Amino acid sequence: MDSKLNASLAEYLTALGDDELVLAQRDAEWCGHAPILEEDIAFANLAVDELGHARTWYELAAELLSEDRGRFPDHLAYFRDAAEWRCVQLVTLPRGDWAFTLLRRYFFDVLEVLRLEGLKSSGYAPLAEAAAKIYNEELYHVRHGKAWLPRLGRGTEESHARMQAALTQLWPYTAQMFLPLPGEAPLVAAGIAPETAGLEAGWWAAIEAALAAADLRAPEKFIPVTRPRSQQTEHLMGLLSEMQMLARANPQARW
Amino acid sequence: MYGASVDEVKQDGAEDPQKLAEFEARIARGEKIEPGDWMPADYRKQLIRMISQHAHSEIVGMLPEGAWITRAPSLKRKLILLAKVQDEAGHGQYLYHAAETLGISREEMVDMLLTGAAKYSNIFNYPTLNWADIGTIGWLVDGAAIMNQTMLARCSYGPYSRAMVRICMEENFHKKQGQEQVILLSQGTPEQRKMMQDAITRWWWPTLMMFGPHDTDSPNSPLLVRWGIKTRSNDELRQDFVNQMAPDLMALGLTLPDPDLKYNEASGNWEFGEIDWDEFWRVVKGDGPLNADRMAARRKAHEDGQWVREALAAYAEKQQALN
Amino acid sequence: MVFQQLASGEPLVHNGTVHAPDIEMALLNGRDVFVRRPTAHALWVTPVECIFTRTREELADGRWLAGVQASSGAAEAWHVFGKLTQQGQLEQLGQVQAASAEEAMKLAIETYTQHEIWVWWVFPVAQTLSSQPEEAAALFSFSETHDFKNQAYYPVITLMREIRNKKQAGGKRG
Repeated sequence: MDSKLNASLAEYLTALGDDELVLAQRDAEWCGHAPILEEDIAFANLAVDELGHARTWYELAAELLSEDRGRFPDHLAYFRDAAEWRCVQLVTLPRGDWAFTLLRRYFFDVLEVLRLEGLKSSGYAPLAEAAAKIYNEELYHVRHGKAWLPRLGRGTEESHARMQAALTQLWPYTAQMFLPLPGEAPLVAAGIAPETAGLEAGWWAAIEAALAAADLRAPEKFIPVTRPRSQQTEHLMGLLSEMQMLARANPQARW
Repeated sequence: MYGASVDEVKQDGAEDPQKLAEFEARIARGEKIEPGDWMPADYRKQLIRMISQHAHSEIVGMLPEGAWITRAPSLKRKLILLAKVQDEAGHGQYLYHAAETLGISREEMVDMLLTGAAKYSNIFNYPTLNWADIGTIGWLVDGAAIMNQTMLARCSYGPYSRAMVRICMEENFHKKQGQEQVILLSQGTPEQRKMMQDAITRWWWPTLMMFGPHDTDSPNSPLLVRWGIKTRSNDELRQDFVNQMAPDLMALGLTLPDPDLKYNEASGNWEFGEIDWDEFWRVVKGDGPLNADRMAARRKAHEDGQWVREALAAYAEKQQALN
Repeated sequence: MVFQQLASGEPLVHNGTVHAPDIEMALLNGRDVFVRRPTAHALWVTPVECIFTRTREELADGRWLAGVQASSGAAEAWHVFGKLTQQGQLEQLGQVQAASAEEAMKLAIETYTQHEIWVWWVFPVAQTLSSQPEEAAALFSFSETHDFKNQAYYPVITLMREIRNKKQAGGKRG
């Protein structure tokens, strides 16, 4: 790969890592506060997986940029301001209730599985290899979400109403997930990454079935969020100020 | 994590003497008592009290460390801490199960915690004020817990003993993680060394209190020893802990907040000053720095989760009706 | 109740219990609670109320066994688990065909005579949900991002030794 393609892929992987890390940060807020003990454990598993994935994507980016594989991921996580982050707005939203949390995860995980199916056959071997491992974990995430959706959607009147409210709130943000990632165009042309827009049909089919099974309806009228990933929410700023506080107070320190 | 229990034991003494003799003979032979086997009512009661206190400690113990997951200063530390707090939920889970084999439900136990009828380890009523507290909890607090747990892994009740074996394995891992972090901070930048010293100064005494009152003030011990639940006394375990920890902490250049701490060549023990027992009993009775906060957090999680649990139950019922 | 198989060909071992509203969630919860480390080859779950149990002590005087009535219903398959050692968990011994839990227990005791068994469990195969081989990848495989769960990641003994040596060397120089 030439250096231009390297830079594009690093940009692309950083955006993937940003999605995973911010979602993990939100989900980790549940640790110790989940509605059921077993689910506290399950949910921490999911967040641990996402954190690990973020680290993997950042490490690959480090290699492409000839940066230190051990230190560069922390640099990306702890020393970039909100304007430099490239996550989708969906993952930055405050954690909400359990319905909101599960549904957001499910939207994200279904897309992850589809994207990883593409990345598994990436022309860049280290990426293909990492994708194959992460893919298995994401399969479990989807299974976990798929088990929960109907249980809350068809549980009680209250749980149904909460799920429906979460769906209405989250739905506009899903549009942004299908915009091209930073650096994507040359990677698609070179057979290194799948085209994000091409994943929408598969995502929609899976989500439509899952919503039907859970007796939920996507809103018909809404204003889709289609701003580029470079425009960030205030929520992200709050999240980063908490996450980065300690590392930034001691920039020379090793932890 | 876990601390020693402090409640008093009363022996009812109304057991069938022949059965009691057979039971004690089994324990003397090193046999494990299993659910379904005959056991004295007091044995059951003591175990329920100890195991549920222990389970509650794991669950409440998630709070002080959990507060730092979102603030962990590197991705590696964030992963380690998240997985560690998750392990504690796992320990609570194993222990609630072990107690359930004695005929009490998890719901009853949780209820007792939330209404204040059940106790949990005092140590979790202290706040985590800086990042070095996380390493300190891992090494010192979990290290103290392991002393108790290693003993309980050999206890006479099968399900408790088996849960403890699994828990000990994971706690030893936490202890290593904590120690590694303390080593790093104690040899780090001036700011890191300062936060490390601050953490050790605040946690040292509460950690020693985890072993419970002096043997002379611990009325339940003889019975618990006879029934193979406890095999070593609070003071013995506490001394072993100080012997193990003091030299390592000092080797790292850390100062322990005890002017009376000194090595006794003759006994091979590190002698230490008297624990502030007024402080100990005050926290036991609910007047610790964070007793009310901890319970408020648990109650909120429980109440916020009510609709989720109801939905799951309703869904299961509907599915059953369909089949 | 959750049972875990660590590797192909090994007996399943009882792990513990999870609370779950139904058996599908129990399998997922079982995975999340018990397969964090080490990993697993297979996982089974069965409702607690489906387990019929007898301890060695309960069987000691032979009265219970003598009282088991032959039942006339249709036979079904029962899993048999036993606790072979004081410290150990219950592990899988095999299966018997029986028309009732009592009959299954009696048959199990008569069949698996090669070990001293401290606790017996039987439960119907039909009431057990097992992970399927094709699900194994999704349920039990973890990427190397879990390297921090490796003991060697924390070389504390070496670190402490180095610090002590350095201190000693420094002391001598001073």
